[in-house]
Amino acid sequence: MNSLLTSAVAGLSAGGAYAILGVCAIFTYRLVAVVNFTGAAIGATGTFVMVALYESGVPLALAVPVGIVAGALAALAVGLVMATWFSGAAASTKAAVTAALLVGIIAVGLRLTGGQHPHNFPDLIPGSAFRLAGVEVTWAAVVTIAISVLFTFITEQFLARTQTGLELRALSQRPMAAELIGIRVKLLALSVWAVMGAVTAFALMVIAPQRAPDFMSLSLLVVPALAAALIGAFASFRAALAGGMAIGIIEGLASGLDTFSQYRGAIPFLVILAVLMWSQRGARFDEAR
Amino acid sequence: MKMLFTRPAALAAVTLGSCLLAGTAMAAPTCEDGAIQVGSVSTITGPVDFSDGPKGAKAVFDQINEAGGISGCKIEYTMADDKADPQVAAQAARDLIDNKNVVALAGGASLLDCAVNAATYKRNGVLSVQGVGVDPMCFNAPSVSPVNVGPYTLTTAMLDYADKELKDEKLCAFFIILGGTQEAYAAAVARWEKMSGKKIHLIDMTLPLQGDLTPYLIKARDNGCDAVLTNQVEPGVVQMINTADAQKIEGIDWLFLASGYTEGVAKALPNTKQPVYLGTEWEPYTEANEANGDWMKTMDKAGLPKTAFSQGGYLAAKVLADTIASIEGPVTRESVSAKLMEGKAMKYPIAGSEYVFGDAAKHAPMQATKVMKLNAGKWEPISKDWYVLPAAE
Repeated sequence: MNSLLTSAVAGLSAGGAYAILGVCAIFTYRLVAVVNFTGAAIGATGTFVMVALYESGVPLALAVPVGIVAGALAALAVGLVMATWFSGAAASTKAAVTAALLVGIIAVGLRLTGGQHPHNFPDLIPGSAFRLAGVEVTWAAVVTIAISVLFTFITEQFLARTQTGLELRALSQRPMAAELIGIRVKLLALSVWAVMGAVTAFALMVIAPQRAPDFMSLSLLVVPALAAALIGAFASFRAALAGGMAIGIIEGLASGLDTFSQYRGAIPFLVILAVLMWSQRGARFDEAR
Repeated sequence: MKMLFTRPAALAAVTLGSCLLAGTAMAAPTCEDGAIQVGSVSTITGPVDFSDGPKGAKAVFDQINEAGGISGCKIEYTMADDKADPQVAAQAARDLIDNKNVVALAGGASLLDCAVNAATYKRNGVLSVQGVGVDPMCFNAPSVSPVNVGPYTLTTAMLDYADKELKDEKLCAFFIILGGTQEAYAAAVARWEKMSGKKIHLIDMTLPLQGDLTPYLIKARDNGCDAVLTNQVEPGVVQMINTADAQKIEGIDWLFLASGYTEGVAKALPNTKQPVYLGTEWEPYTEANEANGDWMKTMDKAGLPKTAFSQGGYLAAKVLADTIASIEGPVTRESVSAKLMEGKAMKYPIAGSEYVFGDAAKHAPMQATKVMKLNAGKWEPISKDWYVLPAAE
């Protein structure tokens, strides 16, 4: 049906955003073993630094790199907390710590950025790429999707083929053993955080003009992103990429259908539930037998 | 005790007595228990900061106190913070009523004060001249009468404006529904349908607070909407117009409520060609004109920024101060409530309607707005005249 296609395409730009953030979530989980709730908030920090510079007259060519560095620094700060005090903690503890940090970052961020007051987000990548089923697919959406694909590909290759990639895998699976065989654990972990921060900051700069331009809305993009990461079972970059896109498209479809659109916000949760049930089906089934 | 007066002393006593008598004849309020206690419950910390409302009210009372008070009675104003938390709001109201012993409330600007406390106010016989009423209960309770038009009346007004002035035929409305606002928005649309004898073309109550708006704008376009009204707050207005530009949508008039009326929104949309309209609560705060003159002077004197919320606090404080000034005898909760319940219409240049409290079961006295249009990063009034709705039933 044509109108369904239209709704699905309308969900593409959201899907691209979820995909890149989902891939970044897996990136941090696979490499430093942290389920990171602060991902989007870190990106939002970099984005708002860029906007603050832009609004005070700094040219974009300078504001964007500074914003990306700010995102990397914010990620480093979170990474430092995690690596210093919680490197040996259980996964659930680390997740809880990042969730707590998220609350703190949002509270501080909202105050510093003037709460709900909107900012003039420059279109880093303006214009629309093409028109599909009556919907303009923006360059911003295309670029976000491209970044997530590229990031997925590069990370996979990097982990599989380089010495550092190997060390990173060792670090995430047996941090103590990795340290004992002389891998510089903390340095590696911190660089993972910095890369994640820089990528999220840039991705959010591209996405932001099309979203509600306030700190909290951007930070809460982490919810669908974690749903996407869960689809990848926090292991597969490709599945998270596809999952993020799928959540965006399903949301688009849902808002096209009147009956479902009021439950649109619940879609990430439904997806999480479905994935959990599917992934645990073996265990449950075995037990029942 | 011997009553021995020297002549000059006796004369003085007589003069004093006659002055007192004259005072009573002039119907001045008196305050034997010290300063008159007034308060307000507002959302100051929490998800939003509406403190400009009560601060505007305080500026008015401070000015009155500096000039010697109302017939010598000083006003002590307490701003309570509800933190957008119902429990805190209820406690704040109890504190104002039981401990501070307020005679009335004025200038509050809150997300939930009316919803939580309207019944408490009624039970304690204390009335609230709300500065900025947001939740539906502000316009549906006997104990509250806001000085602002409010999102529901503005919904009706903007639909009517699009129909009559912009000549839009297919009117569409998209609402974000928070708390118990669905019925109030539905009633506002129904009121317009009844007034105009027309039907709304499309109504969607599922607009998300956060999330991508592309699907909704595509839906509006594909349904052929000529005008789209939403109750988006600041960031949402910017997002909506940016999305419309990204989708190259043309020929739709975008209508918003007063919640989008800030300089931040205008500055964030410097280049859009979309026709963006909204209705204000009072005289547009961005206009330095005569109607705003006294408010601007008061804010400058208090060193406060000039925002729409401070207009609400200012107006509510004026209403209450003028009400107290017209009381004969002691200023108590009973006498203030009785005076407000008399329902005398009060006219101020900053508002388009006369303010009335009265004894009705619900109050929405303000029924006039000024329509603003976005032009190159600035809000500009379309007309000098108020756009007035016929009184609500």
